[in-house]
Formats: sequence, C-alpha cells, structure tokens
Amino acid sequence: MNVSDLTAPGQTPSGLTAPDRRRGWILPALVALAVFVALPAALAAFDRGYFYQIANLALIFVLLSASMHLVTGVAGLLHLGHAAFYGVGAYTAALMTSKLGLGFTVTLPASGLVAAAVAFLVALPTMRLVSIYFAVATLAIGQMLYLVMLNWVEFTKGPNGVIVTKGFELFGFGLSGRIAAYYTVAVVVTLCVVAIGRLSHSYYGNALRSIREDDQCADAMGVRTVRLKMEAFTLSAFFAGVAGALWAHMTGYISPGDFKFSESILILAMVVVGGLGSLPGAVIGALLLILLPEGLRGLGDFRNVMVGLVMFLSILLLPKGLLGEVSALGLVRRQFGAAWRRTAGGEGIGWR
Amino acid sequence: MTRLLDIRNASRRFGGVLAVNDVTAHVDEGELVGLIGPNGAGKTTLFNLISGFTPLSSGTVAFGGRPLAGLTTNQVARLGMSRTFQNLRVFPNMTVFDNVSVGAVGALPQGALGALFGGLSESGRQRSADISRRTWEALEAVGLTQVAGELAANLPYGQRKYLEIARALAMKPRFLILDEPAAGLNDTETRDLAAFIKRLHGQGLTVMLVEHDMTLVMGICQRILVLASGRKIADGTPDAIRNDPAVLEAYLGVDA
Repeated sequence: MNVSDLTAPGQTPSGLTAPDRRRGWILPALVALAVFVALPAALAAFDRGYFYQIANLALIFVLLSASMHLVTGVAGLLHLGHAAFYGVGAYTAALMTSKLGLGFTVTLPASGLVAAAVAFLVALPTMRLVSIYFAVATLAIGQMLYLVMLNWVEFTKGPNGVIVTKGFELFGFGLSGRIAAYYTVAVVVTLCVVAIGRLSHSYYGNALRSIREDDQCADAMGVRTVRLKMEAFTLSAFFAGVAGALWAHMTGYISPGDFKFSESILILAMVVVGGLGSLPGAVIGALLLILLPEGLRGLGDFRNVMVGLVMFLSILLLPKGLLGEVSALGLVRRQFGAAWRRTAGGEGIGWR
Repeated sequence: MTRLLDIRNASRRFGGVLAVNDVTAHVDEGELVGLIGPNGAGKTTLFNLISGFTPLSSGTVAFGGRPLAGLTTNQVARLGMSRTFQNLRVFPNMTVFDNVSVGAVGALPQGALGALFGGLSESGRQRSADISRRTWEALEAVGLTQVAGELAANLPYGQRKYLEIARALAMKPRFLILDEPAAGLNDTETRDLAAFIKRLHGQGLTVMLVEHDMTLVMGICQRILVLASGRKIADGTPDAIRNDPAVLEAYLGVDA
C-alpha cells in the first residue's frame, strides 16, 4: 500500500497547513533570543538582585509546571503532591552540600535521581489506583514527605531549614555571580523543557495520552499502561527534583514551608490555566502565575485577589487554557516540522 | 489450516451467575467467524475472556498455540489480537492520526528513551518512521486520510466506527475481533461495513465478529457460533444455523 495512491498530490488534510521548514525555526529562535540574550541584557542593565531572583524563580516554576504537564496534562494522572518531589530534590541538594560538601555538578543529577527513586517507590503501590483515588493517594504522599521534612529534625533540621553553603558551580568552576547563576538556571531549565517536549511530542507521548483518554482501551491496543504511568510519574518527579536543586543553590536556604501542599496546587493551577496537555501552555501558565503577583506588588495584599480573579476569568472564558492542547500540538507540529516525511497527505502530522 | 484461537471448557462466574458456561470453540487461521446470541447470552463476556480483559474461572484459552492464562490485556494484544469495542471507544481529545498511531505504537513500542534520543540513532528514526507508516496504511485502509488532522470527537458517528477499526488495524493483528460493529449504523452503512469486513478478510486477516444484526452475520460469515445463557448451542455454516432448532428456540422461544 502506498499513501500517495489514495491522496491526490498537493492535497492537504483539512485543518492542517504544510510546515515551512525555514519559518519553523523563527519561534524557537525568538524564545532562545529572549531567554539567553534579551532578558540577561535587561537584567544586567537594571542590575538589581531582586529582578534576578524573580527571573530565576519564574524559570524554576516553568520547569515545575512543565514536569507536571507530563504527568497530569499528558498522562492524565491528577497529581496533588508534586511540590513534595520538588522538596525531595531541594533537600537532597542542600544536605549533600552541607553534610558531604559536594558541589552543584554532583547535586543536580543526584537531586533528580533521588526524587525519581522516591517517586518510583511510592508509585509501585499506587499506580493501579484510578482517577480521584490516585489523586488522594498523591495528596497523602505529598503530605507524608512534607511531614518528614518538617519533623525528622536530626536529618533535615526540621522547621529551621537548611543553609546551602555553596552556590552554582560546574566541575569546580564557580558560577556564583548573578548573571552566571541566571545562565545556569536558564540552561538547565531549557534543557529539561526540551526533554519534556521530546517526551510529550512523540509516539511515546501519544501512548501516554491514550492512557489519559481511556486506559482500558489503551491496554487493549497493546500499550503497557501500568508501566507507562509509572514512567510518567517517575520522570516528572525527576524534573521536579532538578528544579529543587536549582532552588536550593539559588536561594542558599530552604525550609519545609517551600514545599507544602499549596505549592502543589499552585503548580497545578499553572498547568490548568495554561492548558492541560499543552507544554507551551504550562510554560505560559507558570510565567503568568509567578510574574503577575510580582507585577501587582504595588497593590499590597489586594494583589492576591487580583491573581485569583485572573485565574477565575481565564478558566471561565478559556476552559481549555490560555493555549489549549489542540492548538499547542498544532503549533508544535508546524513550528518544528514534526512530520517524519513529506507525503502527499501527511505533512506535519506524524512525529519524528 | 492452523488453529489460531482455541477455547477449551471456558467458564466465567460472576458471583452466582455463570456468564460463560463450559464453552469449547475454536477459530482457524483465515476464517471469518460470527458470534451471535440473544441479549445476556455471554457474548461480550466470552469476548473479554479471549482478549484478556476478564480472567477465566476455569478452562483454557490459547492463541496461536500459546495459553493466555496469566497474560495481561496488553500482552495478549501484542501477540497479535486486536479488538474494537461495543460502545465506540475512540480517544476523543486526540486527532484521528494520533488515535490510530496508538495502535501502531502499542505493537511497536517506543519507550521514553526512544522519544528522548531516538532522533539521534538510525534505529530510533526507523521506529518512528515505521509507526508513522503503519498509521498511514491503516488510515488509508478505512479511507480516513483526509481527516487525519481532525479531532476524533469532531467526526460523525460512522467515521468514528472506522477510526476504531483503523486503530485496531494499525497493530497489524493476526486476529481482529469486532464487537457489534454495526450497532447504530443504518442499512446502507451496514452494507458498506459488511463489504469492508469481507475485504479485510479477503486480504488474509482472521476476523471474528460479535453481532446482533443477523443479516450482517448471515451475509458474510463462513461459520457462526451461537451462545445462549452462557452455553454454546450451535456451531456451523449460516445455512445450518438458520435451520437449527436450538437456535430458533433460543431466539424466538418457539418449541421446535
């Protein structure tokens, strides 16, 4: 069988436009330009520590939101304990630094791996749970991890928190200046978001989506549902752990309060406001919910009401999110020319 | 002819109800078999026993000579058995292409590492290309290439039926089971579907259909199994079934 036999040449399936390979690089190039040139230039021009903090925080939450997008948006597992894995990563980095004297080069991967290992262990008994029961299980897991951080005083120093004695470094070269720290966070977050993009924009991602849509039916199609759910959960915890290491080395001080339930809900809100299942949406949602409260600082406590109002209105008017899954996938397919080959009917549809 | 599916003394009990009671049946390679029976006869339960959805209470089911006991649904599917569902289960928030690609990626798994780094190796690129090609071939077989980019939820009912079949075909199965494929279709659509199923069978695929629509089953099947109250009451050609007293009694309640 040959596709071109059935589809007349030059015809494109409805709802699709053929990707233009040259134009496809404009958007990624613009984003890279903004993150690696324009923003650092602006930060350097103002040269205020506060702005650097906000930029780094926003990037870290972009990674948290993107990692939650993988498990909740793509695989459809409502995860109410994500911040706890962020915390496991942060504590791993902080304790490895303060107790073992290790640097960022080691603590960054270690944080991701420890968070993933913890997620894997707790996932073993919970992965057969479905829908709301799974959500409640993750809520309980998040609370358990939070209480360990809070109450295992001899190991985690409890509510006093941990001082992280070392900033960013790479194989012993210090990256402690403000601009170097910004670049470190930006590079790590970008690499991770690209990796999450590869995972969600692939046939692997399609298999995860099928579990979200109808897991029994996915099972009958040969999709290894339980294994894939565990992978999505573990991978998202890995990226949350990496975000935790960035946070620990960036602020120099962490405490259990940074990883409580309300943070999980904040990350969930980012994913939902941006658009469930949409990676660009998760990024936009994170930027909105971090930058909006900062921008509204002049309003005092009233800003929280404003943030709530923006969230409420966006859900009311755009229930599929600011950039919903369908438009996001269409965008990704066009921009990155994801079609694996140029066939008469299939341009821009398949994944590479 | 080789025996593809071998069901021996299969029973399934739900509490006090014997939904499937000591059924022995088989399907040979290359056959087009119908499974009929009145409501509540146990057709769907038998179907679920075959595809690994429901475990057997007793008896055995073997596929291609391999016993299916202890295998999960997705393992059974990867052996080459694919199915559609009675109550249309497409993935509504995915495009037509992505829906069908799930069948292809089910049979040709791409792991997380493949998704992350597959683009860097020849075998990884080949895997994606194979999945894509299978998806296109299945879409082409049912004539849905023109709507490949549409959301499945936006398709009319009849096309969603074919979408489900395409998704099953993308697995390149040895054995295709269709659960009430004609449900909800009008006469013309049912005729088209019958011709389509015959064409699939003509290409060498072994097919079993579970159906209420007698004209469809009688018209295209080579052999028909009849279930009533969980038992197999008849097994034979359409002509033999049409005149079988036990079948007439089960369907019409007449004393033959």
